[in-house]
Amino acid sequence: MAEQGGLEGSQPVDLSKHPSGIVPTLQNIVSTVNLDCKLDLKQIALQARNAEYNPKVCLGWLNSSYIFFFFFVCAASDSAAVSGSNLLVYKITPQRFAAVIMRIREPKTTALIFASGKMVCTGAKSEQQSKLAARKYARIIQKLGFPAKFKDFKIQNIVGSCDVKFPIRLEGLAYSHGAFSSVSGSHFYGFGSHPLLLCPLLSTTFVPCTFKCGNACLYEPELFPGLIYRMKQPKIVLLIFVSGKIVITGAKVRDETYTAFENIYPVLTEFRKNQQW
Amino acid sequence: MATFELYRRSTIGMCLTETLDEMVSSSTLSPELAIQVLVQFDKSMTEALESQVKSKVSIKGHLHTYRFCDNVWTFILQDALFKNEDAQENVGRVKIVACDSKLLSQ
Repeated sequence: MAEQGGLEGSQPVDLSKHPSGIVPTLQNIVSTVNLDCKLDLKQIALQARNAEYNPKVCLGWLNSSYIFFFFFVCAASDSAAVSGSNLLVYKITPQRFAAVIMRIREPKTTALIFASGKMVCTGAKSEQQSKLAARKYARIIQKLGFPAKFKDFKIQNIVGSCDVKFPIRLEGLAYSHGAFSSVSGSHFYGFGSHPLLLCPLLSTTFVPCTFKCGNACLYEPELFPGLIYRMKQPKIVLLIFVSGKIVITGAKVRDETYTAFENIYPVLTEFRKNQQW
Repeated sequence: MATFELYRRSTIGMCLTETLDEMVSSSTLSPELAIQVLVQFDKSMTEALESQVKSKVSIKGHLHTYRFCDNVWTFILQDALFKNEDAQENVGRVKIVACDSKLLSQ
């Protein structure tokens, strides 16, 4: 957040694009790419540097890690021309995370590499860096002797953050957007798995609400201190904190992040908390 | 019971291996017995380090490379500082190989 302040000072903000005068800083980019070749993860883990494979302790390796089921399906009499029997082998592997986790220092990123050749690259601070990092990983895989390509590179998620530098009345914001409306708690799948949700008493205290345009916000300080604002257009999720710090996630292109922030900014100023000294 | 063989490359382990080799080649010891001695060495080292060593060493350095595969961690440190209660030493390049002792009991 501090570097954002520095950025603002060093280069003038394009006010036509950012009327608020604040440009959200990109914090994380998640991208995927298809290397388009089957990979031997163990070989990669053994040969590449800074690789992890099997982070979950797999106990199976000391005993036999595979259970084989053999099904002998006798060929039906009328298809006797086919060889005697069909053999089906089912391989059950113990619970483990089936990807190599690899890191590079420049750009500082982490990649999940799957045996199918699909790769996820996380941690980059810009789209270009994410692509550069993904290319570097692909190159590492190539150097290990796999015919890796670089297909269907796609940015999957962009996370940005910024600081409006004033405190926000989250209760007011949540309330004014149709508090206690008929939206059910399960609408917010982000909390769907929370055990507290299973308690009927608690779920009635939720303050979910919707705009006419379909925006929805959820503020449940006992569960999470921030207000979760699901914007419909662009389809972005914003986490708004009392402190005035904002997290913007769900974007596929950075302009969605910027648009979402400019959309929410007037609402935030409306619910600016008056400092009480 | 499975054992970790990583202590065989320590000074004491290498000396034991050399001695056993000599004894086997001069036929004063059967190869089977030599192997058994080595396995006992693995067990005893693990046990001794677990129960008889109380001193602690901290290692601090720049992590050049790490790897985790087959439940073995490998770290390569540069400019590492080894510290224990009464001494410290700088080492230019260190390779740490670490296994999870919990796996032995399973």
